[in-house]
Amino acid sequence: MFMTRKATQWLFILCMTLPFGTAATFAAEPAAGKAIGYVMKAEGDASVIVDGKAQPATVGMPVFVGSSIKTAANGALGVTLEDNTLMSFGPNSQLSFDAFVYQPSEQNLKLSAKITHGTLNYISGVIAKLKPEAVEINTPTGTIGVRGTHFLVKVDG
Amino acid sequence: MPFSFLRGLTLVLLALCATGCATPKSYVVLMESPDGTTGAIVVETANGTTRVDKKMDAVALDGKSAKTFAVEPPRIEQDFSAALKAQPALPITFRLYFETGTANLTKASKADFQNVLTTLRERGPSAVSVIGHTDTEGKSKWNEQIGLKRATAIAEMFKKEGIKVIELVVTSHGESNLLVKTPDDTPEPRNRRVEIIVR
Repeated sequence: MFMTRKATQWLFILCMTLPFGTAATFAAEPAAGKAIGYVMKAEGDASVIVDGKAQPATVGMPVFVGSSIKTAANGALGVTLEDNTLMSFGPNSQLSFDAFVYQPSEQNLKLSAKITHGTLNYISGVIAKLKPEAVEINTPTGTIGVRGTHFLVKVDG
Repeated sequence: MPFSFLRGLTLVLLALCATGCATPKSYVVLMESPDGTTGAIVVETANGTTRVDKKMDAVALDGKSAKTFAVEPPRIEQDFSAALKAQPALPITFRLYFETGTANLTKASKADFQNVLTTLRERGPSAVSVIGHTDTEGKSKWNEQIGLKRATAIAEMFKKEGIKVIELVVTSHGESNLLVKTPDDTPEPRNRRVEIIVR
């Protein structure tokens, strides 16, 4: 899609004014959400969960604050966030995107995610560079603070 | 038969142990960054806070010890090969420069634009940000608009070339985000630019 911010706003306004039945066509994009990143790689059984609904992951699928990703035993998935953070996952993984704010000019920056199971390959982006303390990757038993870097996490029950 | 089976099983268990027993089930390991540097992580668990700043050093997340330990490449391969294989392409930033007060690319940047097109085509649909910038010559409000004109011109060129994108966001920072710091009202060719971030 070829769109400027303004066009996106217009589309949003358009969606809001359309009759209810027609608006359902746009249901893939939750009203409150702006995409924080996109699926850039997907393999096997991998899905993105938005508003509690799991959809098979495909390249270009948006992720939002509140979204989760999930992979099965044969699945893998890679996501690139708006601030250039890369996160990719091996089999049997689950992670939720809990907070994401990227407004560098206002110094509003935050990235928080929680991996409850599986493996994560993480390469930090602009948020970690500008404000390292604004990034945290949580696990059930620990918190990883990022000082601008590449790391791997494994969480196993 | 049962004896040799047991012996085989023992051997398998020993082999598993050689790579697995020393490493906890849940851990985080620091890696070298794509730019060749190694950063640091600070890990908080029930056992305390540990700073890791050496590549291939790890710390357990399941609370047995807060001490760092070295992880060998075979272990990383075993645990993380699928996650590493799914890593998206690294984001790339391009800078294109413009003639003063216009949305016309300089001669050198016209050639560079072809590289941008090649990259976009090779990578396939990407999320693209196009950010227009100016130098400090003229009023800042005017520069905001020049920056937007520059960014829009590039976006139009992508469209004309039939480039497919996942997302294209066009914005202007005007004179508020200088590449080369200058006083106000200073012509500076390196500040008259558009930054294209391909993710």
